[in-house]
Amino acid sequence: MAKTDDLAQIIIGCKNRDSKCFSQIVDMYASRCYGYFYRLTVNKDLSDELLSELFVKLVEKIASYKGGSFDGWLFKIAANIFHDYLRSKQRRKKLLDVQKEQLESHFTEPKQSNNEQIDKLQMQLTRLDTDTRELIMLRFYSELSFKEIAQMRSEPIGTTLAKLHRGLKKLRELMR
Amino acid sequence: MNDENQENLKELFEKFLDAEQAERNVEDIQKAEEILREHPAPEPDAMLIANIKAEIAMRLPARRAYVFKHITYKAACAAAAVMFLTAIGLNLFQKSPRKPNGMQLTSIIPTAIWDSDDIAAADADLAIFTTEIEQIEDELLTLQSGEDEGNGDSTITELEMELIEINNSDFWKG
Repeated sequence: MAKTDDLAQIIIGCKNRDSKCFSQIVDMYASRCYGYFYRLTVNKDLSDELLSELFVKLVEKIASYKGGSFDGWLFKIAANIFHDYLRSKQRRKKLLDVQKEQLESHFTEPKQSNNEQIDKLQMQLTRLDTDTRELIMLRFYSELSFKEIAQMRSEPIGTTLAKLHRGLKKLRELMR
Repeated sequence: MNDENQENLKELFEKFLDAEQAERNVEDIQKAEEILREHPAPEPDAMLIANIKAEIAMRLPARRAYVFKHITYKAACAAAAVMFLTAIGLNLFQKSPRKPNGMQLTSIIPTAIWDSDDIAAADADLAIFTTEIEQIEDELLTLQSGEDEGNGDSTITELEMELIEINNSDFWKG
């Protein structure tokens, strides 16, 4: 409860354009949001860019936050930013190239790519379809309830549950 | 992961599946999420975080200035509109030939009906008409009283002729 109250105070500060409150929000959410972007894009530079975009959007849109789950609201913006990225033709090409590289190195040892080490989990995640991967990452990093996720995705909760279970089960098999 | 969400997971699955299957699904999810926890994603660089904070700080005054400018322009536009409308209003009232000083009365019947172009002629016609009416009244009274010694039919004929004459005269048409 104390955490919720603190967050509410910070959000009020953000609405009053207090840069310290924005800094606190960045400290609280940067790690989770970065993880979300990184696991979806598999690219550090791109994740840096998307994370910056997210917090810039936060500054622009904080006045439109009318209460409710702040995590849900923030990750909705993050999901929209990721979708915008996917829609961008140029960036899509970049993503496909990266994914192609990863698929080529699928059965080899993890190797350095663009000064990054792709971990085993990341390699297996790329074998899942984009929607399932996004759902798993949203659930894991946003820590939202299934009800909130289903609402965010505008689908019945049963569908969300089934998709997530199927995706995680497949991931578990791939990781064995 | 949120403990509260985990606790509800079995309950949620049980809405769609039997208890045994629901438990298996929850186990699948928990184990897979354990794998996710064991493989954390890289953390954002401290430099990136510092840059983001600097960018936010840079955008905030700009945003404030923008909002201030926006409000100022809006207020100026509103003031200009009010002044413009006031000027138009004042102008209209000053130039108006009819000032709302008091109540004005008028007849709903056009005055032309009561007016005559030739008052003298109209008065003479009225006098003749009045005389004829008086004459007819006298004759009627005579007939009613039975004092008329002449032929009754001829008196009626005379009356009728006088009425026709009045009817044919144009004085009351104005």
